[in-house]
Amino acid sequence: MFERFTNDARGVVKSAFEYVEGGDGQSVEPEHLLLALLDREGSRGSFALTALGLGERRESVRQALRQARRRAGLSQADTDALAGLGIDVAEIVSRVEEVHGVGAMSGDRKDKGWWSGRPSFGRGAKGVLEHSLRVALAQRDRHIGDEHILLALTMRPGVPAEVLADHGVTYESLVRVLYGGGESKAG
Amino acid sequence: MTEATDLAERAGDRDPRVGLRAVAALRRLLEQLEAVQVRNARNQGWSWQEIAAELGVSRQAVHKKYGRH
Repeated sequence: MFERFTNDARGVVKSAFEYVEGGDGQSVEPEHLLLALLDREGSRGSFALTALGLGERRESVRQALRQARRRAGLSQADTDALAGLGIDVAEIVSRVEEVHGVGAMSGDRKDKGWWSGRPSFGRGAKGVLEHSLRVALAQRDRHIGDEHILLALTMRPGVPAEVLADHGVTYESLVRVLYGGGESKAG
Repeated sequence: MTEATDLAERAGDRDPRVGLRAVAALRRLLEQLEAVQVRNARNQGWSWQEIAAELGVSRQAVHKKYGRH
């Protein structure tokens, strides 16, 4: 699969790894792929984000991702589902942070040493890359670019899709700016 | 936020999606809580054996997940 990735798509994967190696979590997750996408310039994905008005608002997306990480990486839909069981995620996070410090539930490795594994590629992130291949096939694109990773992120339930949708970036809006039409969703 | 709104609207009925979503979210919450507590115990000098006993799992299980030695 990787041989069909463009340099931009490879760059996204590489820079997602660098986020984790820098202490941002323990394995590469879809959130890291999105952070890596936000950093890129001059790529198809970057063009699409800018076309949808994210040129100046990338920091707002990063901020929303940080907030989600602080509540154990749970999306708003997750938090709502737990509220349905009577579980108040904000309350739990706030009590844990009282004792263990702000960001304790984020999975960051602030005190290096206690956790000693190598960063791995998480199941969710693998799923995004596999999905990006299907997206490229559905659009009859011969290569997998960073725009296909971005499209895949908007199609899978979770924090990245929620945060992107809050900023006006959805599968439909991306297809519009990338392909100029409203084609049907790929599996 | 259609997904969240959707879930919230159906939280009262028996839609399996809501219940399953809650279980998956709870698991994720649990994983983070465990990591916080294991880290705290290690920082306070607890052995893997002691941590495993409190968690009700084998020493190997907790060590494989969080430790190297």
